[in-house]
Formats: sequence, C-alpha cells, structure tokens
Amino acid sequence: MPAPSASLGGASTDRRPRRAARILWPLGLAVAAAPFFMASPFYVHLAILTCLNVVIVSGLSLIARTGQLSFGHGAFVGLGAYGAVVTGMHLGWPFWLAALTGAAIACLCALVLGWVILRLRGVYFVLVTFAFAELVRLVLLDWPGITGGANGITGIPAAELFGFAFDTRHRFYGLALFCAIAALAFGLRLSRVPAGHAFDAVEQNAALAEASGLNVHRIQVRAFVIGCGIAGFAGALLAHYVGFVSPESFNLSLSISAIVMLVIGGRHSVWGPLIGALILTPLPELFRAAVNTQHIFYGAALILILRFLPDGLASLPARLRRPREGG
Amino acid sequence: MKIPLLAAGLGLALAATTVHAQQDTLRIGALVTLSGAGAAWGQGMQHAAELAADDVNAEGGLEVAGKRYKVEVIPYDDKYQANEAVTVANRLVFEDKVKYIIGPVGSAPVLAIQPITEKNGVIVMTLGFTPKALGPDKPYTFRPNVTTAEVSQPQIDWVVATRSIKKVGALFPNDETGQAIAKDLQAAYGKAGADLAATEFFERDRVDFVPLLTRIMAKRVDAIELDGNSPATAGLLVKQARELGFDGTIIRTGGPATQDIINVAGKEAAEGLLVHTPIDPSLPSTAAYIEKYDKKYKRAMNGFSPSFYDGTHLLFEAMRRAGTVDDTDRVRQELEKISGHKGALGEVSWTGKDRYGADHQLDAPFYVAEVKDGKEVIRARCTSGGCK
Amino acid sequence: MDFLLLLGQALVNGLVVGMLYLLMAVGFTLVFGVMRVVNFAHAEFYMLGAFGAFLLVTRLEVPFLASVLITFALAVCLGWLVEWLVLKPFRHDELNGMIATIGLAMILQNGALMVFGPDPQSMPAVVRGVTFVGDLVIPNSRLYVVMFSLAVLAALYVFLRHSRTGRSLRAVVEDLEIASAYGIRARLVYPLGFGIGVGLAAIAGALMAPLFSVSPFIGTAPMLKAFIVVIVGGLGSIPGAALAGLMLGIAESLAGTFLSSSTAEILIFALVIAMLVVRPSGLLGRPD
Repeated sequence: MPAPSASLGGASTDRRPRRAARILWPLGLAVAAAPFFMASPFYVHLAILTCLNVVIVSGLSLIARTGQLSFGHGAFVGLGAYGAVVTGMHLGWPFWLAALTGAAIACLCALVLGWVILRLRGVYFVLVTFAFAELVRLVLLDWPGITGGANGITGIPAAELFGFAFDTRHRFYGLALFCAIAALAFGLRLSRVPAGHAFDAVEQNAALAEASGLNVHRIQVRAFVIGCGIAGFAGALLAHYVGFVSPESFNLSLSISAIVMLVIGGRHSVWGPLIGALILTPLPELFRAAVNTQHIFYGAALILILRFLPDGLASLPARLRRPREGG
Repeated sequence: MKIPLLAAGLGLALAATTVHAQQDTLRIGALVTLSGAGAAWGQGMQHAAELAADDVNAEGGLEVAGKRYKVEVIPYDDKYQANEAVTVANRLVFEDKVKYIIGPVGSAPVLAIQPITEKNGVIVMTLGFTPKALGPDKPYTFRPNVTTAEVSQPQIDWVVATRSIKKVGALFPNDETGQAIAKDLQAAYGKAGADLAATEFFERDRVDFVPLLTRIMAKRVDAIELDGNSPATAGLLVKQARELGFDGTIIRTGGPATQDIINVAGKEAAEGLLVHTPIDPSLPSTAAYIEKYDKKYKRAMNGFSPSFYDGTHLLFEAMRRAGTVDDTDRVRQELEKISGHKGALGEVSWTGKDRYGADHQLDAPFYVAEVKDGKEVIRARCTSGGCK
Repeated sequence: MDFLLLLGQALVNGLVVGMLYLLMAVGFTLVFGVMRVVNFAHAEFYMLGAFGAFLLVTRLEVPFLASVLITFALAVCLGWLVEWLVLKPFRHDELNGMIATIGLAMILQNGALMVFGPDPQSMPAVVRGVTFVGDLVIPNSRLYVVMFSLAVLAALYVFLRHSRTGRSLRAVVEDLEIASAYGIRARLVYPLGFGIGVGLAAIAGALMAPLFSVSPFIGTAPMLKAFIVVIVGGLGSIPGAALAGLMLGIAESLAGTFLSSSTAEILIFALVIAMLVVRPSGLLGRPD
C-alpha cells in the first residue's frame, strides 16, 4: 500500500524503507536469538509466551483481514489444546499428529460455525463467537471423563518430534520461534498473492467485492477456518509447554487479550501481531505488582489507539513518513 | 522499532537487581488467593507467614548455623486459578528464586504447581484439601491445616447423633475441591447413619442458588451442608436458604468462614449454624496469636491463619535443626521429624501416613461450634478419634 | 414435593430472575439501538450501580429507594460524560466502537478494583421474610426487586412514548437519516441514549446489590445473560428484550430445577446459537 507514494519523491525517499530494513532485520535477528543465551529461565519463559502469542494473534489477524472480529478466539486455542492433549495422552498419538489433530478440530468447528454465522453482519458475528466461546468452556467443564472437568489435565508430556524432545525451555523456544516466524511468513506471503488481495477487498468493501465477482461468504469462511486452525495449533503447542490445561486457561480473557494485542499492534499489517505480542506479553509479568494500574493503561491505550492510530502501532512509520512527502 | 530493545533493556536491569538482593535475606513465597472467592483464606495465610517472619526478625533475624537471615515474605495472587498459580510458581521459583512457598489455597492450583515445586525441591505448605496433594511421591509438600478428611467423620458422627439428622442436602462448586469434599462427606454421613441424599454441583462464580436450593428442599432434607464452599458463597447459600423458608439445621463441616457468613447473611439467618472451627479462643497460645493479628492488621483473623503461623515456624525450626536454608532436602527431613511443637494451635505433630502414605499432615485439635448471636460457642471438642 | 408445586415454584423463581435480566438487557439494547455500539462496558455500569447503592446505604445512611434513584441519576450523568468524551469519535463505527468499549470496561473495572479491593462486600437486606402465594414461596427481597423493576419499565415506556426526547430517541433507533432530516439533534440524542441505557444497568445493579454481594467482578455474569437476551430478542428491540428476558429467566429456572445446572447452561447456549441460525434478527428485531 505505501509503495505508490514512495516512488513520487524519486530516489531519496525510495531509500528510506530499505535503510530502515537494513537496521531492522539484524536487530530482529539479535532479539530473536537473545533468549538462547539467557540464563534465567523466567525470561526464556516470557520469550516463549511471546512467540506463541504471535501465532495466536496472527490467526486472529487473518480473520480480521476479511472484516470480521472473532470474540471467541481463545476457545479455538482451547479446542486445539484439548484436541492435541486428548489424542496424545489417551490415544497415544505422536506429538506432530496430535497437534495437527488439535488444529483440525479447531478448523472443523470453525467451518461449521462459520458457514452458518458468517452470513450475518459483523455485530452478530461478534456476539455469536462470544456465545460460542462460553459454550466451549461449559462443555469442557462438563465432560470430566475426557477433559478432566474443572481440574483440567496435568502432566502433559513435552513435545517430541522424531525422538527429539523439546523438554528444556531453550529447546522449546526454538520450536516456538520457528512457528512464530512461520506464521508471520504466511501472513507476508498472503499479502502478495491474489487470495490475500481478495481478503483485503472483502474487508474494505464487501458489497463491491461481491459485485465484482468474489464470493464474500466463501472467502470469509476460508479465512475464519484457517485463522482458527492456526490458533488451534498454537493451543497444542501451549499445552505441551505449560504441561497443564484447564477450561479457565482459554476463557474470555484470552480472547480479549488477543483482540487488544491485534488492535494495538495493527489490524491491517502483517507485523501487527508481532508488535502487539512483543509489547503486551512481557509487560504483565514485569509489572506484576501493579496489575490494576496496568490494565487501566491498556484500556486507555486501546481507546487512544483506536481514536488516533486506528491501524495500530504498525502504521506509525507510515504515518510519520507521510508528512515529509508531498507537503 | 526501539520497543524490543527497551523491553530487553528493562529485563536485564530487573535481572541485575534481583541477583543483588540475595545476600542474607531468606525469601519465602506466599502463593495465595488474594482476590475473589477464597481471598479470606489467602490473606489469612499471607499474614500468618508475615507474623512468623516478624517474630524472628524482631530477634535480629532467623539464626541458622551461626548466620542471621532477615525473613522476607513475597506475596502473589493466584486468583484461585490453576493456570495463574503455575505462572506465579514459575516466577517465584525461577525469578525470585525462593525455596519455600506458603500456599496455594486451592486444590487444583497445588496439583498444577507440584510438577515445578517437587522437581526443583521447593518446600510447599499448602491449604489444598485434595488428598492427592500429599504422598510419598511428593516429599516436599506439607499441609498444616486439618481438612475434611480429618474432621468430617468425628464431627458428623457427633452432629448426627445429637441433632437426630437423617437426610442431608449439599451444594458444591464444580471443581477439584468441591468434588473431593463431596466424596468424603458422602462416605462420612453414610457411616454416621444419615444419608447425603441431595447433591448439587454448580459453577464457581454462581451467585443465584434459588433453583438449586428449591430442588434440595423438595427432597425434604433435615439439614444443609455447606462444606466445600468459599466463605462468600457459603454466606449467600445461608441467606438464600433462609429466605426460601428453610428452617432445618445448617452445618458447615470445614473451612472456617463464620465471620463472612454473618457479613453476608446477617446474624439472624446465621443463628444456630453448626460450624467446624480449628481454633479455641480460650487457649492462651491461640488468644495471643489472635491479639497479635488484630494489632497488626486490624481485621478479624480467618480460622486457618494459626495453622500457617505454626507451619511457618515449623519451617524455621527445621532450618535451624538442619543448619541450612539452601539444602531443602535436609530441611525437609528435619521438618518431618519435628513433633510436639508448641504453636498457636496448641501442641502439634505430623500425621497422615495411613491416609496419604506420608506423615505430612499436621495433626491438631478442632471443635464443633454453634453460632449464637454472631459468635461461635464451642459445643464439642474433637480429635481425629472423636468428639465430645 | 408435589410436581405441580415444584413446577409452580420454578416458574415463579424464573419470572423473578427474568425481570432482573430484562432490566439489564433493555439498557443494553437501547444503547445499541441508538448508537449501533455493542457496549462491552455495560457490565461495569451494573457494577458501579451496585457500589453506588451500597455506599449510599451503608456509609451515608440514605434510604434504599432514594439510593437507587440517586444512583440512576449519577449513572446517567457518567454515561453522558463518557459518551461525549470517549465514544463520540466512534458513533456509528460499530467495530471500533465496540473495541473502544472493551477499553472502557478495563478502565472501569480496574479502577473499581483499586478503590474498593476485590473482596465481595455485602449490603444489609432491605426487607426480610417471605410471601406465600398458596404454597409457593417468594422471598420478599426478590418481590421488592420485581415491583421496582416493573415501575422502572413503566416509567421508561411512558418516557419513550409520550415525551419529546423519548420520541426522538425512538426515531433515531428507527431510522437515523430520516430522524436527522427532521432536525433531531445528534448532539443530544447520543449521550442521552447512552446515559439512559447505562443508567438502566446501574438500576439493575443497585436493585440486586442487597440480594447478592457487591464486588468489582459482579458485572460479568449478568452481562452474559444480557447478551443472550438481546440476541434472542433482537438487537435494538426493547419489547424483544423484555420478552426474551422473561423467557430466559423461566427457561433457566425450569432447566435448573429439573435438570442439572450445568446441562441447563449448555442447553441455553446451544439454543441461542440455533436461534441465530434460524432467525438472526431475533424474535422481534428487524431483519437487515
């Protein structure tokens, strides 16, 4: 999107994004690699959670890119987590199969729910995803035979791939980092192919998109299914890291955190999930003493960003650049 | 994109400060519920640890093997949720580097953190009622308060006999604690010759119990049992049951909550309530503790608090005898050997081998009291053998 | 207990609870109808209403009825202020407005946590005892709430039907463009609509404070019910909210009395989702 204006100013403005990139990429690499050298397990723990949040919010971002806001994202993370844990522990399936199954369960639920619900206007979709999330939580609570009920399931074994066990924090960080990068790469790729352009078209003006031949409903369902599948996969990872799942781990506050991260990071940018997760994951831990003040800041930040920077922090560079071009 | 740098810089700075604070301070974590249901218990536990710390700090610090340690209690709120407890345990064990934890309050939280604490040799003094919390495979977990398993049979025997109760109804939260207690009570009432005929499980946050109480009252029960519910919920149950016109006996076989029940339900509704209480205010040691608590915190003490005061002092004594604060394996072994300790509850020792496989349950006397005009009047004195 | 008696008792319990849901939902649907915003902060106004009544009664010893009215007035003013200061940029921006109310909810709830602490506090009962209708038992405190709710609803009805401001509000809900063409001033209508909507939530909170305890967390559960009621009744339809509120109360009470409480909840959610599939605009809402 910013490309057209950059070419107007000629060579000098053209170099700006490249110069920024030259600083950002090595910096990004350094930050990503840092946890491997950290001794304190707590900071590696934060890094892992951040990566998992990047994946979760990427899924949400995908859904948002077709103009729908899911208020039940946490439930799909939970479906993936429980799906992976139950098939892994009760059926003895290997981790990769169990995780994919978890994601598949999330996809299936999203398909059924989305097909029916995405016909409705945005507001209804929000309310239904909200109701669906509560329904999932109640079902998880009420099926102690399989889900362990309110107590959840403890003692989940570490993730294992072809004999290599991710049972130390540094190892798991490697896995989490890989998935986070994959999620971002997927988002990047999507914005360059026709399918991604179709998503954006639907978001900007659904009626126009429909008129120009795009099947809005099918596109939104596709985005919803993929987005929830990504969330489900993240859930499977989360479960095998924490070693414990309970219905309360995937309740409304997870869905709301994801939305807050997405909005503050940037709903329309591929980097939005990264920025949102990077800022909002470590903060609660670093400022655990001032929990309430913290949340007040988040609320205020949310409102301010919506008002003054609706495309989130990711749009900040573009916004700052714009005054210098074209007067 | 300075944000990641900023976060990393902040993180490093914090790491540096925590490393520095380790010298000659003994840090004890308080992983307790400070908000929502169960907060009364959590606060009681936190304050108990703090009072015990005050005791030794007043003497110049805890003296172990010739060195003096200032004791510091670090409290965190787990909101009675297992996943919060896991996050906090991570923080306490790996970031704050504590080796002793007071808490958690709930059964699900203690089970969730045990993989971390047992693996890292962190001694835990928990309130969690579930029998699964203690065992030969969990050498570092101890419980300083008596639970339903210890008190129910003697108390229920006494109550059923003296009040001629045949049919009992009960409501429990749908979680680990509630389910464990429901099972214990079912067995206990059965053995005493009564019948726990009506059991309802509800979601923890529920506040409207009228349909459930209607169902229970429809079965014509003589008494309603409140054990397993948080103090605030118990208050609501008493209030709503009396509002619906229930005039049978209301019993609470565990979990001290009388003050909260009276706050919520009012003195009139709470009149005649039969409650379990772990403390006898007429005992000099207990009276002294109550006074100490009142002086520092200016609010009523929760009945579980003295157990954790004694528990923390037992920890200190174990450290003294082991001659170390860092080698938790030796501390744990000394802790197990302590017997006849004179604490706020009276004289206490460890027990529990037959029930749990390990002597990590504190054995203390307890009492059945009747609430009269807003105060507990002790009607029977009990040990695990029986009540009189 | 006799089956008919149990059924009767369940119905009565359900009607009482239904009135409470109704009050909560009507305000919520009003806000949506006027401003097209799903107000996620509605729960916090309920909570603030409860605290308002609690403080007035216990600290300032104001009689209960007066406390409720004062709380209503304060809530309307607060709502007006909030709409004007915070929500104005988001009028008619459904998605962003909704997210903004999430931020608002976080601020209000955590503010309350900081001021009041997390522990539930209880308010002394307003009335004691029970009323017998034949063999059916109704706690007086709940009867009181029902009567008061009915009075509030009657007042709302009169306001919306017969006063000029009320009719402007209804016009805006019906059709904004035509209403503005007729000169109805958005500057007045929006803050008023929001204020009254959240004021109703505050009244619900104030009325229920003596029944249950008062803490910063009490808003979430009624909010969930309000969502359900409004979905089923139709977003923006006040009669729809009224009907659905009563239906939900009765359904919940019947299911809770005859089945287990958790099965009841699951059934209700499933029914709600089914309802949305079959008739998305709700019972009495307008299809669009």
